[in-house]
Amino acid sequence: MMEKILEIIKKLSGEVSQNLIDKFLSETVSKIWKEYIMDIETVIKNKVDSLKIAIPNASVKKEYKVEVPFDVADVSGYSIDGLEDTGLTLDKNDSGFVISGTPTKSGTFPLTIKYDYDGILLGRHLERKVDLIINPDPRDLWKNLPVPEGIEYPKPDEDKDYVKVVATDGTQRKDIVAASKRGRSHAQEGKPRDDDFKLFHSEENDWYIIAVADGAGSAKYSRKGSQIACDTVIEHCKTQLSNSEQFESAITSLNQNQEDTAARKLVGDHIYNIVGTAAFKAHKAIDDEADKKGVASKLYATTLLLAIAKKFEFGWFVATFWVGDGAICLYTEDNNGENPEAVLLGIPDEGEYAGQTRFLTMPEIFKNSTALYQRLRFRIVKDFTALMLMTDGVSDPWFETDSNLNNPEKWRNFYKEIQDNKEHPVNLEDDNEKAKDELLDWLDFWSPGNHDDRTIAILY
Amino acid sequence: MRRLPVYILIDTSGSMQGEPIEAVKVGLADMVAALRQDPYALETVCISIITYDNEVKQILPLTPLEDLQLPEITTPESGATNTGAALKMLCDKYDSEVNRGSSEQKGDWMPLLFVMTDGKPSDIMDYKNIVPVVKSHAFTNIVACAAGPKAKTEHLKQLTDNVVSLDTMDSKTFRKFFQWVSLQVIGGGKSIGTTSSIELPKPPAEVNIVI
Repeated sequence: MMEKILEIIKKLSGEVSQNLIDKFLSETVSKIWKEYIMDIETVIKNKVDSLKIAIPNASVKKEYKVEVPFDVADVSGYSIDGLEDTGLTLDKNDSGFVISGTPTKSGTFPLTIKYDYDGILLGRHLERKVDLIINPDPRDLWKNLPVPEGIEYPKPDEDKDYVKVVATDGTQRKDIVAASKRGRSHAQEGKPRDDDFKLFHSEENDWYIIAVADGAGSAKYSRKGSQIACDTVIEHCKTQLSNSEQFESAITSLNQNQEDTAARKLVGDHIYNIVGTAAFKAHKAIDDEADKKGVASKLYATTLLLAIAKKFEFGWFVATFWVGDGAICLYTEDNNGENPEAVLLGIPDEGEYAGQTRFLTMPEIFKNSTALYQRLRFRIVKDFTALMLMTDGVSDPWFETDSNLNNPEKWRNFYKEIQDNKEHPVNLEDDNEKAKDELLDWLDFWSPGNHDDRTIAILY
Repeated sequence: MRRLPVYILIDTSGSMQGEPIEAVKVGLADMVAALRQDPYALETVCISIITYDNEVKQILPLTPLEDLQLPEITTPESGATNTGAALKMLCDKYDSEVNRGSSEQKGDWMPLLFVMTDGKPSDIMDYKNIVPVVKSHAFTNIVACAAGPKAKTEHLKQLTDNVVSLDTMDSKTFRKFFQWVSLQVIGGGKSIGTTSSIELPKPPAEVNIVI
């Protein structure tokens, strides 16, 4: 080979010094060699660059593990930089590498894969960059901004109440507990709570009245709307029920003969006058407030869930009015917490899209007596475990769909969850006034995407 | 889980090549990073990106922000702006990807739609035919953006009342535009029902409202 080269050179240039030949060989070989290596680099680089390297996003505090195949022929060794600050670690195996651990820091982390070509020392590494995205933990991002001072219709961020009805003859009597809390989505923007509730129990005639309302997030004065609604219905029912002998005797005779349509109608008429009219008065009261302010009443848009209940000798009577989303449920289970029965006292108004519902402020709700009647319900039962009224801030995360709202098992789990929650259990024992604080704490539960105002009232 | 679907239609016709498309990419990346910093968006927002030139491609199917990685956006050397075909695909994707509420399923929030173009529809007949179909799909808001001096607003006006224009197509302008978009997305998952559409936040100086 060498002789052949010398022969060619001699033919072209005659006798040449050894020194020149050495120089020529060294320069030529290194030139060609460099080109050859460049070609190899290009080939291997293309190979690695076209390799699909999918690294799914990680999230802070969430355990993460991903196996990434990285097995390219002729790549002899590689290392990966960029995981140092993430809390994740890298393990290589035969077919690629594994990134695992629990991320501690969020952000976009550029990872650099540095690799070498088999058998040839390139004197430097080739590189491929891939981004690793680590999401923050949403819980770390929520801000709790105070509502600016001096807003119209101020309202405290939270509210709670306990109506303790003590035994007079040794038998326990049901109490009402309620709590309401500004949602994280409102806290994030320093906006006030739009939900409201109000409770009442009459010592004279033992009627219980519960009102819960959810002011529409998009309506400017809905916090006032929900408050007017609760105040007005409680006031109306209170007055009507203070003189309830006729109503109660109608209930008693209906109980004696549940098939009696005349008795049923009579009870229905009373409910219409008490519960239905309460809702209508609330609608009117909101209209009046809007007029006074010179704005449209829809700016006060609110839902309304209203219940009245009383214990008779034969059992319990419960009547309700419901417009909007959320839930009213009459829940019964046996002493072992088994055999759940759940009766939804109305139909939640939900649209095709989230957040669509009907409001007390809409004229169509009261356009005629049939429309109003459809929103009224009543029940006579021997006894029950809990009558629960809640806004969608509570019902959405726990039930999500209408089908679940009609599932007694879901209600059993829900009622259990309130009492057995690991961090904030609520002790629903008779006369436990602290239940109102416990319930308020319970409302802090986490549910992704569900951060509306939350309000719940329980008669138990 | 209530999702907030966000559809973004991006013009990738030949004229977008070079700086404009690079600026769009920067703007999108910024937007996604900003949304990730909002806890509500992080849990609810899902984004889909459809690009259109001669060809229409859904380069990103409706994906939760948490899992989202921006795909590569490419532009051909030259070619048409098939806005009509893009809107057609949008309607198809809406029908298959957006959850409507039923007794078994929680409905999504009403979607948001952003359409960006630097020209005018080449498939004008298709465009005219599809506009009423788009309008029959419920959106909290449709915002159309005419980017750069050659963009026409009159066709966009048929699609929505919310048309904005950008005088230039540099990265600063697109960045401002997408910041404004993020604000709307963050405001998107809110109770509706009283008003049909949500008021748009005040645009930055770079974004002009077309009346």
